[in-house]
Amino acid sequence: MRAIHLANYFVAGCIASSFLGWVASLHPMAMRAIAFLATAVFILWGLCWLLDFSVSGWLKISVNNLQALLLAVLAMVLVGGMVILCS
Amino acid sequence: MQLKMWILSGTAIVLWLAPLTTLDKKVGWHKSIQGLSLGAAIACAVSAGNIARKLAEENEIETIKTRAITADVVDEIAVSAYVSQQQRQQEAEAILNPVEHLERALALPDAEVERSEPITQNQLAEPEQNDAQNAETERAERALQLKAKGWGKAKIILEVWGVSKGGSPKYKAAEAEYRRLVEE
Repeated sequence: MRAIHLANYFVAGCIASSFLGWVASLHPMAMRAIAFLATAVFILWGLCWLLDFSVSGWLKISVNNLQALLLAVLAMVLVGGMVILCS
Repeated sequence: MQLKMWILSGTAIVLWLAPLTTLDKKVGWHKSIQGLSLGAAIACAVSAGNIARKLAEENEIETIKTRAITADVVDEIAVSAYVSQQQRQQEAEAILNPVEHLERALALPDAEVERSEPITQNQLAEPEQNDAQNAETERAERALQLKAKGWGKAKIILEVWGVSKGGSPKYKAAEAEYRRLVEE
């Protein structure tokens, strides 16, 4: 049941990525805003990956869990982006 | 609850993929439908995730309860087994150790008696010997007290042993004991 709960949140993240892609397709300004947001998220993601020990202490989770979370976020963004690009 | 979760999960995936693949992005109302369906899909997925999390927590609580109940039952069985074993051991000791019972009944402070040995005739006769020794000690003390007061031998023997002076065997035995005790 715990795996199903995590899988549902993963699907929600994928759909949210697709939604952001859909928003980006509405207007060039929206595209810029989403691009800025995506860049910020990517930089934050990289920083979290580099400073994993500090961030894990700050979030009070283990380093393994943090790395799994970061990989899941990356996978969600990739899957959602691929779906919106391929549609 | 579980069925609702599965339906919400399936609906989320359908609402996510179906409008994006079937509808045209260039048509205005198609795009609106896509946006709405994506929003609804997010809501469905989050709801399904929350339901699944709640079910997972309930399952964990049930597991903990089951473990606690099992531990209680095991503990109760262990305690009852221990108590019954102790009772059996005490009963066996009571059966195999009548010396202890005898000592308690007679209130004799004879700690040197080995508890594991069987009862012998000597051990059974010991209380009588002790009584005789105690009586003799009392007689000796009484005789010495009376002698210190200046009483005569015949009067002491009459007072302590209850035998009047004469040639009777009782008087002779008492006289012999008097001599032995006083001279000691």
